Amino acid sequence: MSSNLHRERLETAAFRAGYLALLALMLLPLLVVVVTSFSGTGRLAFPPESYSLMWYVEFLDSVRWLDAFTNSIVIGVGTALVATLLGVMGAFGQEIDDGSLGSILAPLVLIPLLIPPVILGITLLMYFNEVGLRGSYASIVLAHTLWATPLVYFVMRSVFSRFDWQQLDAAQDLGAGPVQSFVHVVLPNVKHGIFVGGLLAFIISLQEFVMALFLSTPSTETIPVLAWTEIRQALDPMVSVVSTFLIVISVVGILLAVVATNLEWLSKQLS
Amino acid sequence: MAETNSQFPRSLEGVRESLGQQSGSNRALLLMAPLLAFELLVFVVPFFILLRISFAEESSDLVYAEGTWTLEAYSSVLTSDLLWSIVGFSFLLGVVVTVLSVLIGLFYAYAIWRSTGLVKSLLLFSVVLPLLTTLVIRTYAFNPLLAPSGTLNELLLSLGLISSPIQFVPGTVGVVVGQLYIVLPYAVLAIYSVLATMDWHVVEAARDLGASRPRSVLEVVVPQAMPGIIVAAVISFAWSVGAYAAPDLLSGNITFAMQVEGLMLSDMRYPLAAAFSVVMLLLMLASIAIMFTLLNRLGGEFELA
Repeated sequence: MSSNLHRERLETAAFRAGYLALLALMLLPLLVVVVTSFSGTGRLAFPPESYSLMWYVEFLDSVRWLDAFTNSIVIGVGTALVATLLGVMGAFGQEIDDGSLGSILAPLVLIPLLIPPVILGITLLMYFNEVGLRGSYASIVLAHTLWATPLVYFVMRSVFSRFDWQQLDAAQDLGAGPVQSFVHVVLPNVKHGIFVGGLLAFIISLQEFVMALFLSTPSTETIPVLAWTEIRQALDPMVSVVSTFLIVISVVGILLAVVATNLEWLSKQLS
Repeated sequence: MAETNSQFPRSLEGVRESLGQQSGSNRALLLMAPLLAFELLVFVVPFFILLRISFAEESSDLVYAEGTWTLEAYSSVLTSDLLWSIVGFSFLLGVVVTVLSVLIGLFYAYAIWRSTGLVKSLLLFSVVLPLLTTLVIRTYAFNPLLAPSGTLNELLLSLGLISSPIQFVPGTVGVVVGQLYIVLPYAVLAIYSVLATMDWHVVEAARDLGASRPRSVLEVVVPQAMPGIIVAAVISFAWSVGAYAAPDLLSGNITFAMQVEGLMLSDMRYPLAAAFSVVMLLLMLASIAIMFTLLNRLGGEFELA
């Protein structure tokens, strides 16, 4: 009996040590990025030999990085708008009537997530060449929407499935039109979901890089694409500065989403 | 941008007008139509064009010769030893990363499921944050850590565990670690979202009946988590076989994605790139189908035990 107890205690200790080690390893690469951005030398080393803000000053002076930043924001906002509109409407439509069309919609929306981004990038590059959209913001927005829409769509399906639809019937019985009842009855109940969906779409677009690499031109290149081009030439702490900004944006985004809903629910939506 | 912008408000306006008159199912149809149209125009049609270009002849002045039909691109893909060795390495990377990702993902998801309060939030946060961080960052961070003059080697050297630096990066260890870090968050969340719906009392019951803790996990938790494990395996596999960033930055070997990027962007050989992509997609689909069957059967066997 005591040997059993002893073993159980050992198992518990090993289990705890295991997941705490994994926790540290999961966060370590991001810590490396943030810490190396404060490097005082040109060599990317962890921990840095000395600390300074010189690379932040350099970033703010660089037209190329700031342009890429603008491109990323434009494409991110565009993606968030289009993906949210498509995802919310699609999920709402399916909630009203889940017919045969609905059963094709869910897998069709999901499949792009399972195809390696390089293949999507190639396919879309050939396609946008044919239809003359190559090099436009729209081409990248559409590509990112392909990835962001499934998230908004599944977030909204989960939100709509928790909504009490009798409220909508009640509003309509009382004489509200379809638009009126949607705006006054459904919207207040699902606006947090819409916000989180849009936010996730924005972050996905901001961080996506393989499709953007294929589809962007020097005038539409996003932050991750420029970072990639720079990394391949030389690894210097500048890329850590840019990365730190991206990480901070994601942290703020997660916090906002958690305030609007909760972390547990958010995590389930991402899978 | 202008084109898409003018299209969507118009379709919204149309929906709004017709909402007033249409019956429920027509209304639903109208709401789903934009999404369906989008998926057709930006996903289905492009794949048919990819397929079409894979059957076109190469051209010296254009990216491909329009209106021609040939199997040339496929025969060059299928007979090239170089391309097959690249395919081999890509699949090897995919299998290794998938196995590690599912095992570690299951462990981590289980830890999240069993923890409470602040620890649970912290564990979830540690998965969600990397997931929402660009591939580029997740990849290059391993360079200062694993390079011959990097943190890990210096640590091992100063501890006297090794006498000369080990080259993890560029190398196989580096690319496996880098790619694992890219897919692990998805695997963890896929498994966790299934575990979260499970009843802990079932596991407790198994333990009360005398099952050891590892055994109760293996025989009770794993079979029930199988849907999540399958999703985790499919995502890890698909993304690792098609890996681009991690192999390019952390390995000396060439993967399918790097090769096809070169064919497209540097060599401008569209038919060959298209045919290679189609062959790769078919191979991946076949592997995923096999994996799906195997895992499903595994789940079934465990349920019987």
